[in-house]
Amino acid sequence: MADKLLKKENLGKLIESVLGKGGRFIAPSTDARQVVFKAVAKAEDLASDYILARNSYKEFLFPQTEVVAEFTVGKDGVDLRGTDVNPKDTVIFGSRPCEAASLSALRAVFTWDFIDEFYTKREDKTVVLTVACTKGDEACFCTTVGLSPETKDGSDVYLKETESGDYIIEAVTDKGKAFVEKHAAVFEDGSATAKPLFIPAKIEGIDLDKIKERLAKTENYADPVWGELTKKCIGCGACTFVCPTCHCFDITDEGTAFEGERRKNWDSCQYENFTLHASGHNPRDFQHKRWRNRFMCKFNYYPNKFSSKGCVGCGRCIRVCPVRLDITEVMEAMSK
Amino acid sequence: MNNIYLPNLVTIEDIYEEAPDVRSFRLVFKDQKLRDSFEFKAGQFGLYSAFGLGESTFCIASSPTRKGYIQCTFRKTGRVTGGLANLSIGDTMGFRGPYGNSFPVDEWKGKDIVFIAGGIGLPPVRSVIWNVLDRREDFGKVTVVYGAKTVADLVYKNELQHWEERNDVTLVQTVDPGGETPDWKGKIGFVPTVLEEAAPGANNAVAVTCGPPIMIKFVLNTLLKLGFNENSVYTTLENKMKCGVGKCGRCNVGDIYVCKEGPVYTAAEIKKMYNDF
Amino acid sequence: MENTLRQKAKELLESGEVKVVIGYRWNRTRTRTTPVFITKPEDTDQLIFNPLCVNNLSLYLTRKFKDIQALGKPAIVAKGCDIKNIVVLITEAQVKREDVFIIGMVCNGMVYKQELWKGELTPQIMPTKCHNCDVRNPHVADFVIGERSTFTPPEKPEGMVFDKIKALDSKDPSERWAFWINEFSRCIKCYACRQVCSLCFCERCITEKNMPQWIETSAHPRGNLSWNLTRAMHLVGRCTFCGECERACPVNIPLNLINQKMIQVVGEAFDFKSGYDEKVHPPMIVFSPDDKENFIK
Ligand code: SF4
Ligand code: SF4
Ligand code: SF4
Ligand code: SF4
Ligand code: SF4
Ligand code: FES
Repeated sequence: MADKLLKKENLGKLIESVLGKGGRFIAPSTDARQVVFKAVAKAEDLASDYILARNSYKEFLFPQTEVVAEFTVGKDGVDLRGTDVNPKDTVIFGSRPCEAASLSALRAVFTWDFIDEFYTKREDKTVVLTVACTKGDEACFCTTVGLSPETKDGSDVYLKETESGDYIIEAVTDKGKAFVEKHAAVFEDGSATAKPLFIPAKIEGIDLDKIKERLAKTENYADPVWGELTKKCIGCGACTFVCPTCHCFDITDEGTAFEGERRKNWDSCQYENFTLHASGHNPRDFQHKRWRNRFMCKFNYYPNKFSSKGCVGCGRCIRVCPVRLDITEVMEAMSK
Repeated sequence: MNNIYLPNLVTIEDIYEEAPDVRSFRLVFKDQKLRDSFEFKAGQFGLYSAFGLGESTFCIASSPTRKGYIQCTFRKTGRVTGGLANLSIGDTMGFRGPYGNSFPVDEWKGKDIVFIAGGIGLPPVRSVIWNVLDRREDFGKVTVVYGAKTVADLVYKNELQHWEERNDVTLVQTVDPGGETPDWKGKIGFVPTVLEEAAPGANNAVAVTCGPPIMIKFVLNTLLKLGFNENSVYTTLENKMKCGVGKCGRCNVGDIYVCKEGPVYTAAEIKKMYNDF
Repeated sequence: MENTLRQKAKELLESGEVKVVIGYRWNRTRTRTTPVFITKPEDTDQLIFNPLCVNNLSLYLTRKFKDIQALGKPAIVAKGCDIKNIVVLITEAQVKREDVFIIGMVCNGMVYKQELWKGELTPQIMPTKCHNCDVRNPHVADFVIGERSTFTPPEKPEGMVFDKIKALDSKDPSERWAFWINEFSRCIKCYACRQVCSLCFCERCITEKNMPQWIETSAHPRGNLSWNLTRAMHLVGRCTFCGECERACPVNIPLNLINQKMIQVVGEAFDFKSGYDEKVHPPMIVFSPDDKENFIK
């Protein structure tokens, strides 16, 4: 059977085709000396040599800051206008398989019971084109959390690079199939051999079941090992900002007493203020308790509550941490 | 678009000064249809906005049996509550809700009920008290034990007097030692001690308690001593909340999202939780 | 060096002179370094020192780290540039000189970021501070480890902080403004820069004060600018150019440019450099009749 190919020279055409139909094209691109996901307009904007973008692309589905309502306070009351989101068709190109798998986690949070349409409307209009990894670094640990560069969960279209820089494409979901049809002109039939994938070695000594079991016991919550492992954390929150599954936010008003807007802004459980009560009481009064929450969130709350993976092993939090607090070291300790 | 973060506009119909820095608002929805259709259960909460300053979470302090309005009671502690305190009768504010679970009042039919509250913990309990009193014949004995730091800090003074006068309610009021005035007729002492003295019967009874965490801790001990079963003691968890709808990830105690699965829990349930509050 | 370090740390813990040694250890894969707090003499062989030991550990001496303070008197493994921050902490009464044992490490330079390490320390991967370092031999310490350094980096690569400042200074104000607006527009308001800075020790940062709200919390140009400028102003005359904020910033905002520029301005106006002498107070908190006023423009 012939494969469907996206020739390297047609990537520009695909971008044009997407933009021409009113969409936006998000891909890894070099900005301020690092590779990040951003909106690109031409093939040359794409980064060529990278492992994983520094940020996750969640910001295109769940922006760092977004207005949920605007208000004007006048003599005769308040004029309140809720925001309507009308998202553009969005193509995420160059997702890695780990982060593609993170979307179901975000969706689970934003749709259990109440539905956050700010997220769902954007996600509904997003097509994820995953490019399987041919390179990795020591922070990658997808295979340790049950994923791998071969995982297609969350990808609408799954691409493999060939030696000559083309892509073999496979439409995974209906959304992906529709996308390939919609832009049929840029794809070709042909056959090619994929470059071998980079498959990180599974970290020995980490056992997800054991971690789950250990975390499930409330008496382990006060285990001093949490403090030993994580007191070096400086509470900068960078790990949660780059994490593809972190979803926490704050709701805050900005403007004057007469007019302004209500915003939904990214927040992080690593901040002291996150759970600080007006009374001054803080249930998480030490940084290690905030870190414990992050770990519990990934390996207990998400799996239990949303039956989804809280951590997809992308390693972003490890790369970005200024004190190199490595989540896999904690996983290892918690597997005992 | 269905915007779950968009509040409804409400008008402040009346303001009551309850205690220093504590006041209540009687609120009605601007939207007539919503005013007629709005329903909630005792124990549920809402997010109240002072536009330009933000939202704050408190329970609905009125009873679901009283239709057409809601009441809230708050203490001025921060930016939002400070802003709310500056509003006057006729002003507009925002309300989202009702959110969260509720006290299973229907399951308590035929039982004695003991309410124990401290300071600003009375508002959530008040909703249940009126809910019960408005269906008085459905329940057995009703006892209210309420205490505050000083006499001035007691909230709902008119209602306390009303309950005092009713002969189908036993009200025990107390203030902390040193908080009494010369003409104070109630008890002097901490709530848990006063509760122990009052010794309401535990047989076929449920208890509802709200107040500062430290008070709750001791009240629970006392209730157990009095023979109450952990499954029939109810309280609320007052975690910090922002969204109220299970999204912002802030209110969790372990894997329990207080805004959705709470705020009402039995003592037995709380005992099983991670120590994260 | 490492052997002497481990030996010294062991002695200090065994004699009870200190209760914890704040230092560096390898990560699980022995490819990156990470801070470690050693409390038992038998664990001292975890301690290491090499060009990947970039963190300025003086942060852990501040009150934010209640649990580390609770351990008791610390010894801290510090490079000359880290010692500058300790000196400022002493001057500003955050730490008492006698309450910390400084193990000064003779240093021939670090990598700018650990990811840049390819097995060899080249001038290209060294930060500007190392090219211009005057504290390779620790200036304030209780015990110095290492042979006296006379090392100078062989060549200065182009485009280091000083060159960039020159280039920016030669631009006209509107261009400069545009440069910074563009850089700050990436800020995600994570406050990593504040958290990693040992001199940002305020227990309640202005960003957390919301009555009134001085700094809007959203990451948008208006709020970002007020945050970044406020932070810069709070560090005038105090910042030692350790570079931790820039290293921690997940979106690579060139905070070192601001820091070094402020150091230059303060140096010209007050002839002061922070971090050298704990007895000299920074100019922004003392008033002297011969202070220049020409910066008030
Ligand atoms: S916790 Fe870390 S490794 Fe796991 S998904 Fe988040 S950023 Fe990636
Ligand atoms: S780890 Fe923290 S910031 Fe991330 S989703 Fe969980 S609670 Fe939120
Ligand atoms: S990035 Fe590292 S230091 Fe910052 S909050 Fe996360 S774990 Fe802590
Ligand atoms: S500035 Fe000096 S002491 Fe600091 S790391 Fe560089 S060479 Fe070492
Ligand atoms: S570290 Fe960077 S992104 Fe974070 S607040 Fe500071 S300047 Fe902004
Ligand atoms: S208040 Fe936002 S999740 Fe509970």
